[in-house]
Amino acid sequence: MSSSECLTVRGLGAAWGATPVLVGIDLDVAASEFVVLMGPNGSGKTTLLRCLVGLEPLTAGTVSVLGRPLARVPTHRRGIGMLFQEPALFPHRTVWENVAYGLGVGHRPRAEIDRRVDEMLGLLRLRSLADRGPDALSGGERQRVALARTLAPQPPLVLLDEPFASVDAEIRRDLRSQFRRALSATGTAALHVTHDREEGLLLADRVILLSAGRIVQSGRPAEVFRAPRTADAARFLGYNVLDREGAEWAVAARDIELVPPGTGTLEGTVALAGFGENGDIVEVELSDGSRVEGRLRPNLPRPNGGARIGVRWTKAVRLPAPTSPSSDGNASGAR
Amino acid sequence: MADGRERLRLIRRIGEVVPLLPVVAFVAAFAIVPAALLLGNGFAGDGGLPGLLRLADDPLNVQAVQNSLSQGGVSALAATAVGLPAGAFLGRYSFRGRSELLAVLIVPFLLPPLAVVLGVETLFGAGGIVSSLLPATGTFGSGFGGIIATNVLYNAPVVALLTAVGVESASPALEETVATLGRGPFASFRDAWGRSALLGAAAGAVLTFLFSALAFAAPLLLCGANCYTVEARVWSLDQVFLNPAAAAALALLLVLLLALPAALYLTLVARLRAARRTRERPPRPVPWGQPLLWPLAAAAVGLALGVVGLLGAVLDAALRPSPSGGGVFSGFSALFGPSVTARLGVSTWTATGNSIFFAGVATSLALLFAVATGFGLAARPGAARALRALVFAPLVVSPVVLSFALSQFWRPVFGGSTTVGVLILLAQATLAIPFALPAVEVALRRLPRSLRESAETLGATPWSAYLDVELPLVRDGLVTAGLFAFALSFGEFTATYFLATPTFTTLPVELYRLEGLRLPAVAAAAAGLLVVVSLVAFVVIVRGGRRVEF
Repeated sequence: MSSSECLTVRGLGAAWGATPVLVGIDLDVAASEFVVLMGPNGSGKTTLLRCLVGLEPLTAGTVSVLGRPLARVPTHRRGIGMLFQEPALFPHRTVWENVAYGLGVGHRPRAEIDRRVDEMLGLLRLRSLADRGPDALSGGERQRVALARTLAPQPPLVLLDEPFASVDAEIRRDLRSQFRRALSATGTAALHVTHDREEGLLLADRVILLSAGRIVQSGRPAEVFRAPRTADAARFLGYNVLDREGAEWAVAARDIELVPPGTGTLEGTVALAGFGENGDIVEVELSDGSRVEGRLRPNLPRPNGGARIGVRWTKAVRLPAPTSPSSDGNASGAR
Repeated sequence: MADGRERLRLIRRIGEVVPLLPVVAFVAAFAIVPAALLLGNGFAGDGGLPGLLRLADDPLNVQAVQNSLSQGGVSALAATAVGLPAGAFLGRYSFRGRSELLAVLIVPFLLPPLAVVLGVETLFGAGGIVSSLLPATGTFGSGFGGIIATNVLYNAPVVALLTAVGVESASPALEETVATLGRGPFASFRDAWGRSALLGAAAGAVLTFLFSALAFAAPLLLCGANCYTVEARVWSLDQVFLNPAAAAALALLLVLLLALPAALYLTLVARLRAARRTRERPPRPVPWGQPLLWPLAAAAVGLALGVVGLLGAVLDAALRPSPSGGGVFSGFSALFGPSVTARLGVSTWTATGNSIFFAGVATSLALLFAVATGFGLAARPGAARALRALVFAPLVVSPVVLSFALSQFWRPVFGGSTTVGVLILLAQATLAIPFALPAVEVALRRLPRSLRESAETLGATPWSAYLDVELPLVRDGLVTAGLFAFALSFGEFTATYFLATPTFTTLPVELYRLEGLRLPAVAAAAAGLLVVVSLVAFVVIVRGGRRVEF
């Protein structure tokens, strides 16, 4: 562990009954770093956060924060902040009281509580709402209050479990920037969970991809996006995965060209065709049953469902040969 | 490291289980163990199985079993016939006054059985309000008919409430799907909401059977020895014939008879509660154009009229000027006058004071247990079912057997002049707990788990998260639980009557003794007083749209 490491996880495992949910998770989050954990639904993202904060038991592995092992430490003494998908504001307390809650249970002096709450309300532009109850707030305001409440006790690390999932697109954009700014201002490390790849790639200093309970890739957003290392990672990042010449290839939709039958590298049947922002989108079913999605060249008319169509591509990334789970200890680590 | 994880898990489990221990210890010490010893003695003392079989030699015992089964069965059928359609209407449709109507249905359950009996006599007895207009209804004024009328007025609202809960639990999406697939109301009932409605009604029917088979006051006052249930027969063997051994043996038979329906009720309620975890179906406006709806509406209106009529009858009797002269409050004047004190050996003021004291302490105990167990049950919902079965057991053991067992087991231990008071207190608390706990538990279960988890991640211990965050949010559940427990304890008659001496007489016991002294106007005033207490509890429960949970 380096001296700047905030969170260190080694060999973490978790299970629902006899079914493993997380297997051999290794990950680190540095101080002030914003790490985004991405993956499809059911990949174990939320369970991982709940394990880190002590709300779910581990079946294996270790978790430490600032070098302090947490195995014997109950949730309320871990000092890790967590923001849930729903803001979970205490409905019988005002905004001010909600933000002060963590400081109050920590027996901080009154003056410090007042100062810290005011600071947080200012940081998240909530001062004018201080005396309101949660029922009188909009969805976005509630999430801002929840973040202020989480940051007020100055945890070194906060876990964000899809905090923007329940707000609409416009408010989400606003919240994203406010959250990122507040976390930077307080120097708090964050592990943010989302299944929205655009959001994840936009926000992250570093992304970690989780699939079926294992980390399949991690790195800087651009690196991960440009060079997916597994088929699961490629699919999650929006690539088509093609099995050609004994290897798997990741091809971005923008690099697929749909051409008249007989002129492409592959041929298939149009499964779906419709409007896309940057040209009509066509989903093609290939002869082996797999599907690829591509954009139609501007001069081609939109084909009908069931029509034959050719497929070719301008650029493809060859995916490394898959390794067995037991031999990819390094691949499943995330630093 | 694995040891650390295990230790943490163990500490957490212990922390969740410990709050459940006080109520388990209380019910075990003051209900389960004494009752088990009593029943065990009844079994051994009467010669084991042959002794139990010999119970059948006494025709009065056989008659008591037959009475319990017939009164329980007929009451359950009749209460369901009224309560099921009424509950279906109340659960499915919204209309002006719906929440008030749902609330008013709980009032009979809060009433002491004696007051309900008096109300039935006033409505259907000789010269009664209804029987004077419709002489055929006179059959419900006394005897078997009177007992059934009492049980139905007491329990049909409960069937309706549980049915409404079932209807509200049905998946709205499923019903909408059935409708969009072009299926009619019958298919909607069969495939979408009927199953949960019937589940609620079945739970209500079994509860009605249990309460009716255990009825004590109604057979005693409306019919006499020929209509005694097993419960009343146990009381009679112990208190009238002074034969505790035979009473204990019969008590064992009573418990064996009712164990299966009790287990069935708990299973049905558990399934009903599991269904309630899903999104509740909002009631919709009444589609008056559907003729199929009218019988349901008629049942709801009929049930509401029955409840209001019952309350009105008791209050009318209480406020009716005495034939010997005096104003509307003459019954109350006599009730608190020296003549009644002289004849009963205790003043009504003392009896009322005793009732308030016993009910207050029993309620406080029940609420303390509800708060403590709420913490444990919220963390360990799996334990909820076992605990519910445990606290429900004293009801199946029955109030008479409970007080009999308490008296046999604890009287020698406590000794002293206050023993009777302590025993009454323990009996009332034990009987209030099964009604207080669910109100808090259900309210807690509806809170999102993330509230407690958020508080814990902010540094609150599990207990302070519970006390700071969750408990204030279930304040309504606590108020309901407290009022429900208070009203039930205030009106508790069976166990208290078994134990009470003149010093510890309560208002319901005094009411029974006034009936025995043929002082109907004074008895009616006492019943009116009990109704007023129940109505106050009802009004407070209704305010804020609170609901009682079973």
